[in-house]
Amino acid sequence: MQSKLSDIELIEQTLAGNQAAYTDLVKRHQRFVFTLAMRFAKGREDAEEIAQDCFIKAYRSLASFNGQSKFSTWLYSIVYTTAMTFLRKKRVDTDSIDDENTYIQIENQSSGYDVNNAENKSRSFYLNQAIEQLLPDDAAIITLFYKGEQSLEEIGRALGMEANTVKVKLFRARQRLKEKLERNLKHEAKELI
Amino acid sequence: MNNIEEQLWNYIDGNCTPDEQKNISSLIAGDEAWRVKYHELLNLNKEFSAIELDEPPMAFTYNIMEAIRTEHANVPLKSVINKRIIWGIAVFFVVTILALLVYIITNIKISAPNISFNAPANLKMPDIKNYISKPLIEAFFFFDVVLALFLSDAYLRTKKVSKHR
Repeated sequence: MQSKLSDIELIEQTLAGNQAAYTDLVKRHQRFVFTLAMRFAKGREDAEEIAQDCFIKAYRSLASFNGQSKFSTWLYSIVYTTAMTFLRKKRVDTDSIDDENTYIQIENQSSGYDVNNAENKSRSFYLNQAIEQLLPDDAAIITLFYKGEQSLEEIGRALGMEANTVKVKLFRARQRLKEKLERNLKHEAKELI
Repeated sequence: MNNIEEQLWNYIDGNCTPDEQKNISSLIAGDEAWRVKYHELLNLNKEFSAIELDEPPMAFTYNIMEAIRTEHANVPLKSVINKRIIWGIAVFFVVTILALLVYIITNIKISAPNISFNAPANLKMPDIKNYISKPLIEAFFFFDVVLALFLSDAYLRTKKVSKHR
């Protein structure tokens, strides 16, 4: 059962030496942090490593959290920097994050997905599939906006961008997601016919 | 001028000025193309809000807390214990040792053929027997044992961690 205490109260308790409070904090945010890590890593093992590293880093620098922003915003900024460092370590060219071609391979793999029970697949399956085909930045912005309860300003703070830039990126990300979702659904419909 | 879709997303997100909001509301009400697009985006927005979060592995929290605990074990003991406590323990032992030495010295009688030494008659030491009782000695040894166990546990943990690395 999760604690009813606020994030700030749990942080205070953790700083006072109560490690169980940090366990509650991890349990509260782990699903979102893991999902966000998945947006960058595109693999469960790597995402797990990023997410764990992120919580450990957050624990180490918990005393420097000044409470001016939400804890979640602060935590997501750590996820972003940790993911970027991880990708760099993995020798993935981070410049190509803005290059749509990088993900053509992933996209093609997904579009060639063997569907035996396509009729049973829910629309959310195709939505998740479409998100996986997005660029990491687009997928992260969509996830932060819809599931992270973050405003444009907070997303900007987490990703180190201006709120207006986030607004434009969110608009483009939604357009791309819509296109990919439609493409995937069209493809599945053809498979069924 | 923004395109219809961009304006509608701003409207849905609530990022419009009151004037823009009023204008878009009337466009949705009066223009078929705007209305169709608005409902399409509204449905997409609803769908995007229902994105499912991924579930981390079962041992996720445990692994994090274990990593934190291991990190704590790696920190030298003297850096996590308040220096005053360390000094307090040191002073306690020094005072105890000194008191024992004084007690022993005052009870020593040195005799030699030509030399005889007795503590000065006016030197009156407190009778230490009044202070040292059996429970006190037991408590002292108990404290020593606990401290020794604690220190050896910390030492073995550190050794185990460095062995795994």
